[in-house]
Amino acid sequence: MNQRSWAGLALAAPALAIVVVFFAGPLAMSAILAFRGRDGGFTTAHFEKAFELYSTDLLFSAAIVVLSTAAIAVVAIAIAGYLTLGEHPRTQAILRWLYRWPLFIPFIVTAQVMRTFLAKNGMLNHVLIGGGLIDPLQAQSMLDWRGIVVAFVWKQAPFVTLLLAGAMAAIDRQHIEAARNLGAGRLRVLFEIVLPQARRTLMVGLVLSFVTMLSVLSVPMMINPNSPTMLTVDIAYRINSHGDYAVANALCLMSLALASVGAWFYVREAARKAERG
Amino acid sequence: MRITRTTLCAALVAFGGALGVAAPAAAQTTLNVVTAGDQNMVDYVNNFLGPRFEKQNPGVKVRAVGTGPGDAGSQKIYEKLSAQQKAGAASWDTDVAVVHQRGAATMVKENLLASYRNDVAAGKLVSRDSAKNALGQNVDGYVIPMFHSQIAFAYNPAVVKSPPRSFGELAEWVKKNPKQFGYNGVKGGMSGVGFVMGWVAANSGMAEQLERGPYDPSKKAVIDKSLASLKEFNQYVVLTPGNAGTLDMLNRGEIAMGPVWVDMFYTWVADGKMPPNVKLGLPRPGMPGQPMYYVVPAKAANAQLARKFVDFAASPEIQAEGIVKRFNWYPGIDAQYVKAKMDEKSWNKLFVDIPPDALATYGRPFPLSEYFTDILESYERVVMK
Repeated sequence: MNQRSWAGLALAAPALAIVVVFFAGPLAMSAILAFRGRDGGFTTAHFEKAFELYSTDLLFSAAIVVLSTAAIAVVAIAIAGYLTLGEHPRTQAILRWLYRWPLFIPFIVTAQVMRTFLAKNGMLNHVLIGGGLIDPLQAQSMLDWRGIVVAFVWKQAPFVTLLLAGAMAAIDRQHIEAARNLGAGRLRVLFEIVLPQARRTLMVGLVLSFVTMLSVLSVPMMINPNSPTMLTVDIAYRINSHGDYAVANALCLMSLALASVGAWFYVREAARKAERG
Repeated sequence: MRITRTTLCAALVAFGGALGVAAPAAAQTTLNVVTAGDQNMVDYVNNFLGPRFEKQNPGVKVRAVGTGPGDAGSQKIYEKLSAQQKAGAASWDTDVAVVHQRGAATMVKENLLASYRNDVAAGKLVSRDSAKNALGQNVDGYVIPMFHSQIAFAYNPAVVKSPPRSFGELAEWVKKNPKQFGYNGVKGGMSGVGFVMGWVAANSGMAEQLERGPYDPSKKAVIDKSLASLKEFNQYVVLTPGNAGTLDMLNRGEIAMGPVWVDMFYTWVADGKMPPNVKLGLPRPGMPGQPMYYVVPAKAANAQLARKFVDFAASPEIQAEGIVKRFNWYPGIDAQYVKAKMDEKSWNKLFVDIPPDALATYGRPFPLSEYFTDILESYERVVMK
């Protein structure tokens, strides 16, 4: 190795040390403890128990997060698309001002808000009944998987929108104007001209949201009746009620496997970007 | 693992030493009260007990430290005492601790506590079984209950004209009134856990053995069987998000009945968050409840003052004013001594729905900790699948 690469390594060392001490180390410990039996030997008993009791929850978590990610994509594309291609400046200004609000609200507050908003006799149903849209008997509680999805989308869509709208604004306006001049409708411009150019940013935003939602404890704990529930709640439960770190570690690794699917996409995109410089 | 534990011990001893040095410099005695449980426990000591005790004992400063809710809070206190014991410290810096049953049982087993109840006057006023037995461990003499809290059914009498009086009647009732009963499973807090424990006690035919032992691992099959009927029961009920979730849904009229902690319930009523017509009832053969205990560590630095403090805290006047009137807990000492110190109205508020004799008969302890764990895991295996 020549001198320059040593200097580079030295510069990266503090960051690398932090990653090793605070991330790689605990991760390795977690992996080891998930496979260590009471006698100190190797065992898969913790994983067997985790699968026996929580395989439904694993699927539930994956389904919720995938569904939320898809819904976030739809909302983000709609808002960012209007901000870029809309033709009514005042509506655009109001929308631009409004959509960012949830960014500043923590997940736990979101969960608390949704708890009263989505309940059977909550505000949403009161409004629907008052507006004559549904009968009182049709009112039902959305405090189950739907509540989690609503809370996640409400909280994360602005984040993706923020990134996406930025990327769309950076696109050369001439592309859009050329397409419009040639007679393309706004929807067609969005999907065939604008979105393909901002695709990478959308992807990164969605992956970050995916991983974030996977790790949220407060929302499923407060909104969902916990049967089935998301893995984070199970992990907290194994630790708080049973002091059972081994099964909790096994669940963490399962959760990590889910998250690494997202990480794989992210790394792939980042690598491509780096190659193009 | 060993290295970390030794380091931890050393750190704790160093910390304790620092406290020991710091205390006399203040020219007064500091009584360290360490309490498990929610913030209201720390508030109770800091805002209510402490100032009153300090007034009676000039030169004494009461300092309360909270270690967090649930058994995990008691576990932290246990770990600290255990570390000081293993390090051979001559005196320990916790003077009085407030712990749950599971914590007290472990501490007594490992000789971490002083047998002090007969040294204090208030010790003679305790009558509950839980003052002698904590989840199967004999704790007689080592603990004085601070309060007792109970899980009961709350129901809205406007909807539920004749509430079910037993678990059997409840199972019939939910079929006729689907989605009107709600509880929070086993992951959303202890009121749901208590309901499940009550269900197993009622349907397994081993209520007595669950409470008193002996522990028999082969009974897992019996527990599984009793929970199979709970799986069917669950089809007719609503699962709520948490202890407060059940209260929320009762308040909004979305369910008509559900298990709740009695003290939480009364606090919600007092805060106007629950319609005042909602009532409480205890089903047969009973629902679990639990005390929290005042304990004095075996080598408490201020052992005499600690006894004086507990004697004060467990006195009928304090139990009446603080425990019952302000915090809606059931008294830790025998109810008759407390009643004598209270106005009729405040007393009746606590016992209007569940009279003392019903509480004594149907207020049960939690199962032994081994059974407790078996039941929770069986619930996940049988009911949630």
